[in-house]
Amino acid sequence: MEILTNLAQGFAIALEPMNLFWCFLGVFLGTVVGILPGLGPSATVALLLPLATQMSPTAGIIMMAGIYYGAKYGGSTTAILLNVPGESASVVTCIDGFEMARNGRAGPALGIAAIASFVAGTVGVILLMLIAPPVAEFALRFGPPEYFALMAFGLSMVVLLAGKSMLKALLSMFVGLWLATIGIDMFTDSERYTYDRVELLDGVHFVVVAIGTFAIGEVLANLTSNSSQQMFKVPRGLRNLMPNWQDIKDSRFALLNGSLVGFFVGVLPGAGSTIASFVSYGVEKAMSRHPENFGKGAVEGVAAPEAANNSETGGALVPLMTLGIPGSATTAILLAALILWGLRPGPLLIQDHPEIFWGLVASMYIGNVMLLILNLPLVPVFAQILRLPGYILYPVILGVSIIGVYSVDQRLFDTWLVAFFGLLGYLMRKVEYPAAPLILGLVLGDLMENAVRQSLMMSAGDVSILYTRPLALVMLVLTAAVLVGPLFRRMAKWRLKVAEQEG
Amino acid sequence: MRNALKILTASALLAGAAGAHAFTPDRNIEFMVHSGPGAGNDVFARSVQGVLEKIKGLPQTVQVANKTGGGGLVAMSYLAEKKGETHLLAVFTSVWFVNPQIREKAKVTMRDLTPIARLVLEPAVMTVRADSPYKTAKDFFGAAKQNPGKLKQSGGSLSGRDNTTRHLLMKATGTEWQFISMKSGGERVAALLGGHVDMYIMEPAEALEQIRAGKIRVLATLMNKRIPSLPDSATIREQGFNVPEIPQARGFVGPPGMAADVKSYYEGVFTKMYKSSEWQNFLKANYYEDGFLIGPGLNKFVDEYTQTMRGILKEAGIKLVR
Repeated sequence: MEILTNLAQGFAIALEPMNLFWCFLGVFLGTVVGILPGLGPSATVALLLPLATQMSPTAGIIMMAGIYYGAKYGGSTTAILLNVPGESASVVTCIDGFEMARNGRAGPALGIAAIASFVAGTVGVILLMLIAPPVAEFALRFGPPEYFALMAFGLSMVVLLAGKSMLKALLSMFVGLWLATIGIDMFTDSERYTYDRVELLDGVHFVVVAIGTFAIGEVLANLTSNSSQQMFKVPRGLRNLMPNWQDIKDSRFALLNGSLVGFFVGVLPGAGSTIASFVSYGVEKAMSRHPENFGKGAVEGVAAPEAANNSETGGALVPLMTLGIPGSATTAILLAALILWGLRPGPLLIQDHPEIFWGLVASMYIGNVMLLILNLPLVPVFAQILRLPGYILYPVILGVSIIGVYSVDQRLFDTWLVAFFGLLGYLMRKVEYPAAPLILGLVLGDLMENAVRQSLMMSAGDVSILYTRPLALVMLVLTAAVLVGPLFRRMAKWRLKVAEQEG
Repeated sequence: MRNALKILTASALLAGAAGAHAFTPDRNIEFMVHSGPGAGNDVFARSVQGVLEKIKGLPQTVQVANKTGGGGLVAMSYLAEKKGETHLLAVFTSVWFVNPQIREKAKVTMRDLTPIARLVLEPAVMTVRADSPYKTAKDFFGAAKQNPGKLKQSGGSLSGRDNTTRHLLMKATGTEWQFISMKSGGERVAALLGGHVDMYIMEPAEALEQIRAGKIRVLATLMNKRIPSLPDSATIREQGFNVPEIPQARGFVGPPGMAADVKSYYEGVFTKMYKSSEWQNFLKANYYEDGFLIGPGLNKFVDEYTQTMRGILKEAGIKLVR
């Protein structure tokens, strides 16, 4: 009952005209920066920090959070249309989203992404509102060994991302793991594979590799194949530009799975939305009755990661609001804003300043509705982009990619790097190596290495710490199940064949 | 033509007449920070920006620019290249003193740049989870003595203040425990609250809310005197351990060879800010120690602090490169 009173007060705050305006401004800006690759929500929130600190804390946090979850909506747009991941979490969306676009279903893909974002964004807020404190306590049970197990589980998703050849997928993942080692090693303060370049001290930025291997590799492959002037067919008629009832029905489990995975991964300070999107995609494929459709334009393959990506926002706000601990780059800036307002974020924030928490929660319900209304009508508009002939579209993709890469750190070096990874992506396509496992390895490699080394330092070198703690054990068992799953399936198939031949 | 000449000479005279203190910023001023948005440094720079705005300390707008990379190295070399730039200042921390001593690539020292003002000193606080068996620093050291290398402390990079402090404590007490590096401050606090590590050395601003919520306990403050925000917490010296203090120092530094009039202009700006009640309130609200220092005193501090850090790094067994 108390929750309802609080929520009502929250809505009273969020529905004040000025707060509604800030909320709209936030989600609108968020959508825009989400669509532009490179410039992410954390950079935008940081840009607006001076403005926000002039506002009242409630209005400021409403606007900044709006940018945060708004960007998650926009991130899928370029992923689906151009195979350019707008932000880290939309790499997974590229896999099936771009295939859908290739099949002339760009509209339904964009539509389902918006719907998934809305559903999961709302679920994320509901969970934030109802179970934040106990979930935060649970998240604290995640120490290095648990993170190691989570990352192992994440890496096991490679089995599900593999196309025809498991060996090629594994090799691709190992290259990603190697790329993750570039830079200063935190534990010894020594440099690895930096070749005396200052630019490599912090490693290779994930956006550079993703845009190179996905977008630029794709453009190069298309140019050399030189098949047709127009990349895709775009059907006429509004009905074909929106998801149909069947699409939504096919996605309902994906929406639930993505919402839950996204929220719980989001709560963990050491994880993030990229892991959430990969895991939800893997879970979706493993549970699907038609796993063979994944990678060929399955609508669930868009719905699951997009859902995970959006409910992650609600999850990431849990440790920030209940413990004063930021779990991501963007929440770190929100924390900075709270400090700059003089609010002293910490475990007592909600108790001391209920208006901020409840105003934020209420504004997130409203903001998600705004985003749905804002994004759905854009779907048919964006889908028209694919009508452009190749000689216009390809240079546009290249331009967007290069600007996106440059905007990350404003370094020319990165544009050379993206050219290199574009070439790599092209070659990988030619010899049929999947690029997604490479990204998976790059994103998880760093986190996994840190976790395993931290664990071994905790146990003074005793490996058993990795599998004796109950939570870690559960996740490792799950990992094993994922890894041997395809083996069993293959054996079952083989048995069937033998039985048929004998019979 | 003649008129134009007149105006020219007149303006030249005016500029000359105003003399050495003629510098005033005529475009946006950039505060460069070597860490990403949301980090301690970044919050500090933005706080200074906010106070200056409130007291109208500068005639132009201040922008905070995050130049991350290589643990401060990218920002330092960027500043070193900007000789003659009058609208760019950077926030320095102890990393700016440590980097040139331990990193081959860090060729820029604080002495090569133009230190302008030291503004705050941040004390360090040794903390444990509220339900920890250790009530005092002595309890912790006792346990560390009984189980050498078994206790764990979470922290940042090896060259960071928390690790150098650990080495000083271990040396003073003849004990040993593990230091577990974690990327973000969030992870480090979470590891303490979750009971995955036994101890964490943090700053009062980070600690006080957790203390108020009853989540953590202070074993000792690592300053020579008790800190005003934690009047009941005994210092490590009071508990009988002779450990030198290493406060985190933060302030502003300009590009190499900044002209005297420009430097004294910014010194004036920070002096005015230091005297304002807005600044004093900010210090109090964020549990900073006032560390205001300019001029010759600052130069002396730069030299001494460099030497102090050198000694500590040596003691900590970290390889010095120059």
